[in-house]
Formats: sequence, C-alpha cells, structure tokens
Amino acid sequence: MTTSIQVLTAGESFRERVLAEAAGPGVPLGAYADADSLHYLFLREEGGPFVLTHRLGESLDASAVSGIWPVFSWDEREMAQDRGVCFEELPDARPLWAERGVMPEAMVAYGEGLMHFVVGPVHAGVIEPGRFTFSSGGETVVHLDAQLGYAHRGVERALEGRSTLANAPFVARICGSCSAARSFAYARALEILSGVEVSEPIDLARLVFAELERIYNHVGDLAASSSGAGWAVGFARGMALKEEAMRLNQIASGHRLLFDAIIPGGVSPATLTARLAIRAGVAALEERTERYVRDVFGNASLVSRWHGAGVVSHDTSRAFGATGPAHRASHGTVDVRTFAPYGAYCSLPIRVARASSGDAFARCQVKSAELTESFRLLREALAALGDAALPTVQPVSPAAGSVMTVIEGPRGAELVALRVGRDGTVERLHIISASYRNWPLVVRAMEGNIVPDFPLVNKSFNLCYACADR
Amino acid sequence: MSFRKSLGIRHLVCGSCNGCEHEVNALSNAYYDITQEGWDIVASPRHADVITVTGPMTQAMREAAEATLEAVPQPRIVVGIGDCATGEGPWSGSACAGNGAGIELRAEVIVRGCPPTPTEIRAGLAWAASLLHSKASTAPSIGSVAESGTNR
Ligand code: SF4
Repeated sequence: MTTSIQVLTAGESFRERVLAEAAGPGVPLGAYADADSLHYLFLREEGGPFVLTHRLGESLDASAVSGIWPVFSWDEREMAQDRGVCFEELPDARPLWAERGVMPEAMVAYGEGLMHFVVGPVHAGVIEPGRFTFSSGGETVVHLDAQLGYAHRGVERALEGRSTLANAPFVARICGSCSAARSFAYARALEILSGVEVSEPIDLARLVFAELERIYNHVGDLAASSSGAGWAVGFARGMALKEEAMRLNQIASGHRLLFDAIIPGGVSPATLTARLAIRAGVAALEERTERYVRDVFGNASLVSRWHGAGVVSHDTSRAFGATGPAHRASHGTVDVRTFAPYGAYCSLPIRVARASSGDAFARCQVKSAELTESFRLLREALAALGDAALPTVQPVSPAAGSVMTVIEGPRGAELVALRVGRDGTVERLHIISASYRNWPLVVRAMEGNIVPDFPLVNKSFNLCYACADR
Repeated sequence: MSFRKSLGIRHLVCGSCNGCEHEVNALSNAYYDITQEGWDIVASPRHADVITVTGPMTQAMREAAEATLEAVPQPRIVVGIGDCATGEGPWSGSACAGNGAGIELRAEVIVRGCPPTPTEIRAGLAWAASLLHSKASTAPSIGSVAESGTNR
C-alpha cells in the first residue's frame, strides 16, 4: 500500500479536484498544511491512501472546501490557526483552539425561550478537558458547540526535527486509548519509506495487539454507555471486564495499555512470550464478554434508553466524515481493515459490523459485533503463531520522502502523515485521529435530544481528547 | 478531624494522554474498589480533600487548573500522577506544554509511572491521606474555635 500523491498548482482547479474526489471514489480523511503546501487526504478502496497536494503561493491564500464538505471544517480551521493559511469562504472562521490560553467565544443559538450554559473545561468525572456550550429550549438541545484543545501539547512540532526512530515511544504516548493503532500506523510509515516488509508472524502479532486494543476499548465503551443510561450494574460489570482485558494486555505486551508493543521493524522483543497464558486469557475473556454483552442487550429498559438517543443520519455521517463504529452505525460500510487492508488483515477476512439506526443503540450494536469478531481474529492469529518465537526486529532506516498510513483503531481510521528529510529526521508529522473526525458528529447527534441524555450520547461515541488535541 | 477513613478525591486532567485516566478510573472498579477504604472520587473540587493531577500542563488548561485547585478547601493535598505530571513525561519542554501539572500545582505527593498502576496510585493516595491527617490535626479544630467563642 503506497501513497499516491497528486500535486496540483492552479488554485481553482484544486478546489474542484478535492470536491470531486470527496464526492467520488475517495473517502475523505482530512487535510493538513506544511510550510508551502496543503494536503487533502483520502482513502480509496484497494488503491489505499490518496493525497491531493496544492502548492501555496507567498500569500498563503486558498479557498475552503468545508462549506461543501464539513468533514474538512476542523482541519481548515486548524490550518488557518496553526499554519497561517488564509482561507476564503471558511464557514466557521473562529480559531479551533485557545489562543494564548483564551478560548474563542462559543457559537450559540438565539431565539425566544433559548438559554445557554457551559460545561467544562473541567468535568465532573475522571475524564479529559473540553468545553461544551449548550443552547437549549427547556430540556431540548437546539445547538451544542464543542471546543477542545485543552490537551494541546504541540505534539507535532515537538516531534519535528528529531530522529524518526527515537520518536516512536513519543508517538505511542500521544493518546493512551489508541496507542497501539497509532504505533502501528507510525511503524508502517517508517517501514514503507525504508522498503522493509515485516514477516507474517510479526503481522499476526500486530493484529493481536490491535484487536486487544479494540477489545478493552469497546468493553469500556459498553460499560460507559450502560452508565450513561443509568444502569449501575452494567457499568460495574463492564469496568471489571475492562480491568481483566487490561490485565491480559499486560500479559501479552508487558503494558496494561499496550504502549510500545508495536515498534518500527517489528514488535517489542518482550511481547507475546507466555503464549499458553495468553490463549487461556483470551478464551476466558471471550466467554465473560459474551455473557456480559448478552446481559446488556437482554436488559430491555437499558436498550430502550439507547434507542433513539443521539441519532446521526447517514447523510450527516457522510458529510462530516464519521469513521469507525460511529460511521458503521449509520449505514456506513468502510472498515479500513477490509477497505484498504494492511498486514495480517490482507489474509484474514473480516465481517464488517454494520447497523442502520444511527443512534446510541446502533453504536453499541456495532461495538458488540466487533467484539465477537475481534475474539475470533485473536484466536486465529494466536493459533497461527503457535509457540514459535517471534522474529527479531528488522533494522529500519527511512529514505527521504512522504507517506501516509491508515489503521483501523477502536474509534475508526487512525492516520499518520509523515515527511522525512534527507538527514533522516522528521520534517513534518501530522496525526488525524478517529476522535478528531468524530467529535463534530457528537455535536450533531445532540441536536433535538434532551440535556440529561448528553452523557449517554457522548459515551456511545466515547471519544478521546488527547489525540484530537495533540 | 480524621481523614484516615474518609477521603474525597477530585481528579484534574491537565493535558495527559488519558493513559493515566484509565488507571485512575480503574481505582473504582471491582478489583481495586477504593470505596472500601472510605475513599471516593467526587464530582466537585468543593467536596475534595485530595486533588489528583495528570499531564504536563497546557497553556489552555493553566487558568482553569489553578481555579479548580483554589476551589478545594484547606487542608488539601495535591497528588501528581504519572511521569508527565512530574515534568518527566514525553511532552515536557514542548512549546505549548508546561513543567508538569504536579510541579506547577505544587504537589506534595508524586506517583511516577507511564502510567503508574492502580496499586501504585493507591499507595500514593494512602500517603496523601496520612499527610492530610497530620495537617488536619495540627490545625485548630472546629471544636476549639467554637469553645473560644470566636465563631459566635
Ligand atoms: S505519564 Fe504516560 S500515561 Fe500518563 S499522561 Fe503522561 S504519557 Fe500518558
């Protein structure tokens, strides 16, 4: 899967070209800028990553596409704020994040009987910071503005100018919840630029970590969605199960959140050593997860609260570029593992989980179906690996060039765009996380819902802030 | 006043990667269940005795973090959780990150790790509880203030 990059120069035709690609063969993934160019990123079925690049003039002028494809809205606002690109016709021209510690004003709805209230950035639970401004008429939410960026650490700039290999543990720590997927994408980017192909056992080992990550996240999401609908027992059981999944991560990778398990050139040498214990752990967790999912979906009052909460239509999901379970719960068909397969997913076919109601129920439905599939994949990969020792890590030394890799993480497409300079250091690294893509959908999903359902709607997505903010 | 058997814990995220939050959340699961110690994670800083902080601190969070800390009544203990909070994490020194939330918010207890395990965090909280206990017992008790009549 190599990245095909098409460079266009004329301003007007570039916009047309982006619009045509987004409407046609490509799944739009987002956009970013570097010093002299804009890059709009797509994924094509089987063709893989596809990049449209536009060289900026001295004035850094460009015409926005987010008026037609809101999927690019956050990206264009970020390019304007972070890289000084001057967009014409940017529908929402506010800075995306705080500037010098001051968050721009929230966007609110005005009208008779409407009131506004702000939640955050500090929240009541053990969760990350973000500011949510509700406009509501009585209990009904008319508009919600989500302003994030409180976890903005300047990750991308911090990693520029440094050695590609030394950056790997840093990439693993951009976000704790999707660390394995991001390390996977980064490792693949370096391997593509180095012309290195990892062996089949390494592909299988990586699949094991990627699916373990999906499992502990999805189980946690189902627990949180139970709690969002007020079912304490479902929350308590789900969190205990998540703990068991994290202990299995520890046995499999030496880390409860799988940090540094996937590294450029292979997997960490200390991983997948206790195969017998891992296989037994997977079997036990699978059985307990099945029972849990059965009980969750067997609870009629819980499920009825999920129905109709936070509906996202197929059209909205497409316009805003929903990804992962959020996309597949609204009639979506794309799962990167089958749409543009990589590693072991090229040979292990997957049934893509789908649902159509676009609500909290559909998102939980997709996640529970994916749990079943993840356990099957784990079993098959572990059986194929047997008890043989894993091959050692291959040396990786990336040549100068640009590459983009996309991995299906628990929340959807996890993207790494990387440009390496002649001296082998990182010239530009851009991360688009599934959470970054999906946050605007949470906002849309709340419209017309009641305020007390916000925790439920929010938890049915259960997005991260750290990888969205970087 | 005794904090040995009762501790309100408020958690404050200052730009962590959320790995530390997975482990703080684990304190409430059936395996670690800190309510058995009489400890509870509370929803408001006003209800807290201990404030746990994670992350390197970010420009955007600094003001809200200080305000949250100020809202916690005295005596209080700040516990810095994770390498980021101690200024030893991956993002210390990057342009928009600070010196560690634990350092900036004057933590008296530090729990190292990336992330530290729930057991390690629990040990840090036990340490905070005993520190708080000794702070509280050296401060004038509510009883003695009332007796002296200054409260009337
Ligand atoms: S210490 Fe490690 S786990 Fe905790 S926030 Fe920092 S990078 Fe994440």
